Amino acid sequence: MQEIGINSVPVVLITAVFTGMVLALQTFTGFKRFGAESLVGSVVALSMTREMGPVLTGLIVAGRAGAAMAAELGTMRVTEQIDALETLATKPVKYLIVPRFLSGLFMLPSLTILADIIGILGGYAVAVGLFRLNSVLYWKRTWDVMETGDIYHGLVKAAFFGAAISLISCYKGFYTSGGAEGVGKATTGAVVISFMTILISDYFLSAWLF
Amino acid sequence: MIDVIDLHKAFGTKKVLDGTNLHVERGQTMVVIGGSGTGKSVLLKHIIGLLKPDSGSVLIEGMDITRLNEKSLYEIRKKFGMLFQGAALFDSMNVWQNVSFALLRAGMKEEEARYIAIENLRRVGLTNVEDLMPSELSGGMRKRVGLARAIAHKPEVLLYDEPTTGIDPILADAINDLIIKMKVELHVTGVAITHDMQSAYKIGDRIAMLYQGRIVGEGTPEEIKSSTNPYIRQFVTGSAQGPIKIEGVRET
Repeated sequence: MQEIGINSVPVVLITAVFTGMVLALQTFTGFKRFGAESLVGSVVALSMTREMGPVLTGLIVAGRAGAAMAAELGTMRVTEQIDALETLATKPVKYLIVPRFLSGLFMLPSLTILADIIGILGGYAVAVGLFRLNSVLYWKRTWDVMETGDIYHGLVKAAFFGAAISLISCYKGFYTSGGAEGVGKATTGAVVISFMTILISDYFLSAWLF
Repeated sequence: MIDVIDLHKAFGTKKVLDGTNLHVERGQTMVVIGGSGTGKSVLLKHIIGLLKPDSGSVLIEGMDITRLNEKSLYEIRKKFGMLFQGAALFDSMNVWQNVSFALLRAGMKEEEARYIAIENLRRVGLTNVEDLMPSELSGGMRKRVGLARAIAHKPEVLLYDEPTTGIDPILADAINDLIIKMKVELHVTGVAITHDMQSAYKIGDRIAMLYQGRIVGEGTPEEIKSSTNPYIRQFVTGSAQGPIKIEGVRET
């Protein structure tokens, strides 16, 4: 919980605020060409809640917590700590994997909410602070287009990514073999497969949800 | 107490156990000797049900544990304690939490579990280490903590995976003494695997030699010392010449 949640907050905040800022920067420059700069708020809000929030948070968590999970379980495997659990009549799956799965499932949506909010604020800072867009108009455009469904579906995605990351990383760690090198391979594998799973499933989840 | 009957196990195409038979009397310590990579660890892991054989059976007090469902297997594991080669201490927990892990899992109160852990640590000759983390311990201390953890739930059988490997001869002998002490004081049945002959002679009531997945000879330490079996002779004298071939090395 701690590892996935609290420790990922700073990275998620920085990523989200700059993503929101760059979204505002790019759309403002583009939309200005046909006089639609007031729509910046809508674009930032929709992009963040539907795509950027869940996907970027997922990638960060996969890189941080997923790697940590695979490395930790992998080390426990190669140093026989998982065997030791079994000899002490404790089921490793229940003891090691279930809590990690649950924290992945719940922490990723929580972090995504944070990313959504901070991203939108980042966009606001650029659009209003830098480009002198009307503050009231920015918020109006934001609230006008955004529906509860956008946020909700984004969070469903996040929960799916969280579950996928923890399952993939735990699986990779749990079935590690071959000493320190094996732990390295398991960790790399966990991150790469998690990244691919997030990016590929994102398309299909989007097609299905929206 | 323990009967291993015609055990076969292969990993991929590599046959590790090829019809292994072993009988261990209650209250005795059986030492299985054999070279590196001869399947000693694999044999030990079958006895506690960490691995499932391809065929054959492992009887614990007459009950075949290879056919048990998961729940009964976990139940029967409570009769066992195992000392792992690298001690396999949980590095996220301190020493006393390691030692009393099974008791804490069974719902014992922290205060009581800590008290019992200190008792068990004293039994293996350690004091004032209960609040240290495993990473702060030396190799010999880790083994002792591992042993304290293995005896915490009062097992009937103790399994030792290379108990004296990787520590200096004096510490190794202290571990040997502990293993004997466990047998005498706790009346446990022991199975140890090792390639340290000094340790084998000292702790073993009987010694069996594993080669190419089979037991090629067995006897009391005295019988092993004076054995004429060429495999045993070669192993106990530590000679590169004889019927045992060194894997991966071509004959010249």
